[in-house]
Amino acid sequence: MIEVDRLSKTFHVYRKPPGLLGSLKSLVKRERVEKRAVKDVSFRIGEGEIVGLLGANGAGKTTLTKMLAGIIHPTAGDADVLGYRPWERDDRFRRQIALVMGQKAQLWWDLPAADSFLLLKEIYRIPDATYRENLAYLTSVLGIEKELTIQLRRLSLGERMKMELIATLLHGPRVVYLDEPTIGLDLTAQRAIRNFILAYREENRPAMLLTSHYMEDIQRLCKRILILRDGELVYDGSLARVVERYATHKVVTVHLRRDGKDCPTPQTVGDLGEIVSLDPDTLKLRVPRGEVADAAAALLSRCSVADLLIEEADVGDIIESILTARGESVS
Amino acid sequence: MGRYLRLYGYFLRFSFSKALQFRLDFYFRVGMDAIWYGVNLAFFGVLFQHTGALGGWNYDQVLVFICGVFLSDALHMTVFANNMWWFPFLVNHGDLDYYLVRPVSSLFFLSVRDFAANSFLNLLLAVGILVWAIARYPQPFDAASLVVYVALLLVGVFLHYVLSLLFLIPVFWLHSAHGLREIYFSFDRFTSRPHGIYRGWMGRVLTSILPFALIVSYPTSVLFDGVTWQVVVHVLAATLGVFLFMLWLWRRGLRAYASASS
Repeated sequence: MIEVDRLSKTFHVYRKPPGLLGSLKSLVKRERVEKRAVKDVSFRIGEGEIVGLLGANGAGKTTLTKMLAGIIHPTAGDADVLGYRPWERDDRFRRQIALVMGQKAQLWWDLPAADSFLLLKEIYRIPDATYRENLAYLTSVLGIEKELTIQLRRLSLGERMKMELIATLLHGPRVVYLDEPTIGLDLTAQRAIRNFILAYREENRPAMLLTSHYMEDIQRLCKRILILRDGELVYDGSLARVVERYATHKVVTVHLRRDGKDCPTPQTVGDLGEIVSLDPDTLKLRVPRGEVADAAAALLSRCSVADLLIEEADVGDIIESILTARGESVS
Repeated sequence: MGRYLRLYGYFLRFSFSKALQFRLDFYFRVGMDAIWYGVNLAFFGVLFQHTGALGGWNYDQVLVFICGVFLSDALHMTVFANNMWWFPFLVNHGDLDYYLVRPVSSLFFLSVRDFAANSFLNLLLAVGILVWAIARYPQPFDAASLVVYVALLLVGVFLHYVLSLLFLIPVFWLHSAHGLREIYFSFDRFTSRPHGIYRGWMGRVLTSILPFALIVSYPTSVLFDGVTWQVVVHVLAATLGVFLFMLWLWRRGLRAYASASS
């Protein structure tokens, strides 16, 4: 459905020295700088796949998404989405894709969303019956039937985002680009949007490319991730493999029983791993993955244990370490 | 075509719904335009106390012309002006994005999305003033001249829109529209003067490369000089030429569109 072949985008920007003098100088001579936002990126996404696109700010995620949505032209390389080159903006292509940008509204601010949906029905030439069916399905899954006729600016951020999602999916797109769909939402709204995306995927099987800074979105929605670093694709594979490859440690948490036995001290448990925290009730250790079983057994024998919990390291921390590891290759 | 008319129907409905929420602005615009009409009528009234003709036209003829300018301007303000105003902001803030992913002409969407419903009353006012100016003209105009005049005036409104957009499209490369707007407004003043006052190279420029004189003045001439195919073909050919050039520049602009970071 989406095939990307060595896609690149270079922007030209001008540097301006600070202050008034800098402004005057730049009137005469400006320093033109080439900024390679996306470099030779290649990947494929199939039907029904939700792929997470990760990267630090400025890594090229939005530029890549906008090229695949046909908004901006690439400098080099090629892409095929549903058999079309996106930036040629063929109407048949545009009728089958959708884009949600969490930071940009597409609906009329002063009107109820229902009015904007009617306009979209006309734009996408959605037959009456399909429109009614899709709208009923989307509003009921998102639980906002009653808000449809309320002026958009009177709705909460979460409700507006749900309306944006409906606007995006009304025409039943086969490819969906989701750029920060949960940004700024509270936890309940985030969860609702995630559940909705999963349900929609199950029902309609579109290819989805998801950009989010919330790791919870990525963990819940994506089995596969792409990691961009400084415009380069440094990882394309399963989220589980990244965790396995980069999570060198697990976190062992021990809830201690206060029954008179000696409390653990750095001297008595320090050999089992790195102590993250230690107080009379809880001990938290960072233990190398291969030594977790032995460490757990030792803890059970050395301390009075009420409960013991073994957790993977935080996925966000792992991704963060990959994103910030300049120049290192990711396998 | 039918689909685009239906889309325009939605734009009209949305714009009226929005405009009726801001009553003060609604009345303010009527007042502002009434003052502008009055100032212009007074200006030409004073001018004709010192001269008997302007660019070959007497006071009655200039009155018909200037009332045609009011109507042309009211149409431009109502249909296109708001959209032209927002265009540079959309380009610079990356807000063209949603327009470009829709399976509909982005140029159509951007040009007529915002109908200035709060200028609608001015439009009726301008029509009334023009009808008054034509009715008080000493000799009655024949029906054919009036029909061609109205048709060319509408072509002139379209030409006005094309020229205004032509001056804004460079924002794709320049990222600022202030200077462009100022240049456009300077040229736009030529629209509200009879073309007969422009001689030599200036006359040639204003009727060919930058045909501001064709927006109202040429259409008005068919009322006084009769309909000639030369005038009709001239206005249509120049409008088509400028429109095709604008389309070409628009496509180049979209290629250069860089959107904005999220």
